[in-house]
Amino acid sequence: MAIVLDRSRALFATGLLVFLLTLANPSLVQLNGIPPCWVVLWLLPWAVVEGPAAGATAGIAMGLLLDALQGSNLSSVPVLALLGFWWGQFQKARRPLERSTTLGLLALLGTLLLNGSYALQLYWRAEFSRAAWQTTLAQTLLTALIAPVMCSLLVLFWRRISPQYLQPRSPQ
Amino acid sequence: MALRTNLKRLLNPRLLLASWPWLLLLAAFAVLRISKGALLLDFYAQATRPFWPGSAQREWLQKAQRFEDQRRIALLEAQLQQQQQHQALQLQKGPWLTAAVISRNIQGWWQQLILGAGALEGIRVGAAVTAPGGLLGRVSSVTPSTARVLLLGDPSSRVAVELQGKRGQGILVGDGTSRPRLAFLDKDVEVLPGDVVITSPASTIFPANLIVGVVQKVDFEATPAPEALIQLSAPVKAIDWVRVR
Repeated sequence: MAIVLDRSRALFATGLLVFLLTLANPSLVQLNGIPPCWVVLWLLPWAVVEGPAAGATAGIAMGLLLDALQGSNLSSVPVLALLGFWWGQFQKARRPLERSTTLGLLALLGTLLLNGSYALQLYWRAEFSRAAWQTTLAQTLLTALIAPVMCSLLVLFWRRISPQYLQPRSPQ
Repeated sequence: MALRTNLKRLLNPRLLLASWPWLLLLAAFAVLRISKGALLLDFYAQATRPFWPGSAQREWLQKAQRFEDQRRIALLEAQLQQQQQHQALQLQKGPWLTAAVISRNIQGWWQQLILGAGALEGIRVGAAVTAPGGLLGRVSSVTPSTARVLLLGDPSSRVAVELQGKRGQGILVGDGTSRPRLAFLDKDVEVLPGDVVITSPASTIFPANLIVGVVQKVDFEATPAPEALIQLSAPVKAIDWVRVR
């Protein structure tokens, strides 16, 4: 029971951090005025540790949160749900993910997909962003740069408090 | 295959039933999405109150506003009398309010500001937002203590403008950069780099004659009518306090 409580508390705290970072948009962590994709940085380690179902659920939740924080009606829910599900497949990976650059590559592809979906939605709405490539490149690069550091730490953190990785207690 | 087994496991009704707390959480997030983060924005406004920009620029703004009023009265008295009838409706909307910028997103897929004043202070959806220099955008949604501003550079922003001196009418179309595109309505328009762009009296959203920016580059080859790149005159990057009406 205590473990579940710990995990939900950690979920709440990290979710709050994602929300604050997305809105406050600190100028220290920007590339050409573009912030990294905090949602992707949060979703990747969670999905990798918890599997596809939890990953997709968290993807939907984080997508809804991200959509709520911006006035234009671009949606990130489908892509983030898909990413959560895809990254959940790596739960059974044999190589230690946290020690490799694979996390960076996954974050890079995820951010690329997310930005691509924004571009596609703008195209469908017959709107146009001249800075589309610039935005995509800056955000993808910055996210992929931060991911290996931050996501590997978060992977280790989620594993530590995940019930499925806990050793069963020896009787006495 | 791992994917198929995972999918099968996902669609198991017993699993779905057992995961009701997560579904409830999802529903909560859906409510959040539908309200466009209203609760969260109010919370954010309160949580970041100690970090709001200082009041120096606000006082400066108010002083600048007084100077501007005096100058206008002195120089444009005759013109104002003519326009009084025309602007009577817009003046009834009330005085300018000042508000602090508490979140700024001026590059990327959407361009918006969050202001630290909302419906309680009297800000309404559709209000014009200006800063020293000129127009910034309009209020797209409000919560009790915050207001979201759609900037002129946002891909979904469309504003009716004209060249000063009633020369060319056009629509200012945001395109995701700090320099929106002005699409003229007329094919033969006399426009040169350096011309001043103001809001059009034909606009039902904005008060007329607010300064928007300066023509930077003109493309006469564009179809169906010439287009121009506009350098906005309000420096959105540096502004901490704005005026709303």
